[in-house]
Amino acid sequence: MGTDVKVISKKKPNASELLRSKLGKLELKTPLTVASGTFDMESLEFFDPACLGAFVCKTITRYPKKGNPPPRLYETEAGLLNSIGLQNPGLDAFVADKLPLYRQNLQMPLIVSISGSSIDEFMQMIEKLESCPGISGYEINISCPNVENEGIAFGVSAEIVYSLVQRLSSLTQRELCIKLSPNVSDIAEIAQAAEAGKASSIALINSVFGMAIDYRTGVSRIKKGIAGYTGIGIKPIALALTHKTAEAVKIPILAMGGIYTWQDALEFFWAGASAIAIGTANFVNPLAAPELIMGLGGYLLEHKLSISDIKGRVKI
Amino acid sequence: MNSSLYRQRAIQLREELSDDYFTLWIWDEALGAAGKPGQFYNVRALASLKNAQNSGKIPKLFKPISIFDNQGGRIGFMIKKVGEGTAALSKLRAGDMLELIGPNGNGFPIFRGKRILLVSGGIGYPPLWYLQKELINHNQIYWMHGGACQGDVFPSDEIWTEDGSIGRQGRVCSGMLENINKYDVDLIYSCGPLPMLASAAEISKSLNIEHYVSLESYMACGIGVCHGCAVPIGAKNDWEYLRVCKEGPVFNAEEVRWELM
Repeated sequence: MGTDVKVISKKKPNASELLRSKLGKLELKTPLTVASGTFDMESLEFFDPACLGAFVCKTITRYPKKGNPPPRLYETEAGLLNSIGLQNPGLDAFVADKLPLYRQNLQMPLIVSISGSSIDEFMQMIEKLESCPGISGYEINISCPNVENEGIAFGVSAEIVYSLVQRLSSLTQRELCIKLSPNVSDIAEIAQAAEAGKASSIALINSVFGMAIDYRTGVSRIKKGIAGYTGIGIKPIALALTHKTAEAVKIPILAMGGIYTWQDALEFFWAGASAIAIGTANFVNPLAAPELIMGLGGYLLEHKLSISDIKGRVKI
Repeated sequence: MNSSLYRQRAIQLREELSDDYFTLWIWDEALGAAGKPGQFYNVRALASLKNAQNSGKIPKLFKPISIFDNQGGRIGFMIKKVGEGTAALSKLRAGDMLELIGPNGNGFPIFRGKRILLVSGGIGYPPLWYLQKELINHNQIYWMHGGACQGDVFPSDEIWTEDGSIGRQGRVCSGMLENINKYDVDLIYSCGPLPMLASAAEISKSLNIEHYVSLESYMACGIGVCHGCAVPIGAKNDWEYLRVCKEGPVFNAEEVRWELM
């Protein structure tokens, strides 16, 4: 990426204008965010966070969650399997301990990711968070593949998504981004249900069901068996579902799934994304975020393009 | 590129140990001053990143490698070739570059005036080497080390091999009780494969001897973000998943819920 870095350093003032983006109600300084659970305060020690347009925290639930038994991770030929199981300290501890830290240290919009086991629980969480300043929006995680009877149980039914989103949207003026699962038969239908319920944006995709087995012993590499698959292997899936969803809804899409580089990012803009997130890339290359933004800014400058010029204009 | 957590450093020296084991040395006084026994770095051959990027591929994750030695800015990583990541590291020579994230995790608690038993198995040896250097002036130390065969054997006071090719035949934990009695041991440190650590923990618990283990776990981030390396820690009916990379890798053996591992 050496040549692109030079381009941006010559004409730095303009690149930041070209990188500006909107996600629903949010003005983003760059179109890049981080996938929930792959980036936290520790990660900010790697680079200047100015390359990020927003910060999405690890998903929290109403009550503390222990998480899944180990082993929780396995790196495959093309990406990573994880089975964390939404381990988190719960809403009250988040509000008391984490939120003040985020407010103090983040110079960008904070999107709080939440999951619940019932519509009421989701509503209780939003009600409590509404009383907390310093939050720009919510990511409604209805797509975690690693917990039963929570999250994904909602994300697979258009009717339930509609009633959930409708109730949540009446509770907040903040950005309301619904995170969808790829593990459904028709993602467009689910996205339309979220839009009808007045979601202000869609995030996709959460991880794909995946598995790995030790061929010698027959033992699953992940304790719980089926896990969530992320990283390079799911990029074509994420791209297809971004395209399909962009054709089906008007609200903006925050796309993710196997994005590592600025070239990957451009593909997702062509497919219809307004903003993108990197997840597994943060583990493989801790400097993936600043490198992506440098490369993207350089490319947009060189070709005199803005993201809106190519958004959704894939040629088929 | 450098940041407070991520660095690239040239390998100053490579040493062959035995079979699949080798040591890579880097030189960095600031990092040396920061490191403690039991801590680890997430390590990758820079060539792995560059080769992947140049061929349009995605590099693999970093590998957690504990600090083997650390003196005057000379930091050693003793590594066993086991998988793809460590195989790439095994090809490196002096002058090649390493990517480093760390030092990560909490080290071993350090005591004085103790009669210590060190128990290591295979690639569990390196963190105890660095530890004994910190302990040796104020404590009495007896070190038992075990492995599958003589290729897994390194300097220590007592050697066990499973195939009996050298030292005493059997598993290293079989000799623990004898040495605990002989040396009136009141503190144990251990590092090695999980079944070995679980056996060692059972012995220390039955005798009520303080025991710290350094655990190994599959990691994605190594800095506390992903929660992928978590292990069950706490009391029998009141435990939680703690991160090996952040709250560990050293835990009190009695608090590890071995039955759930």
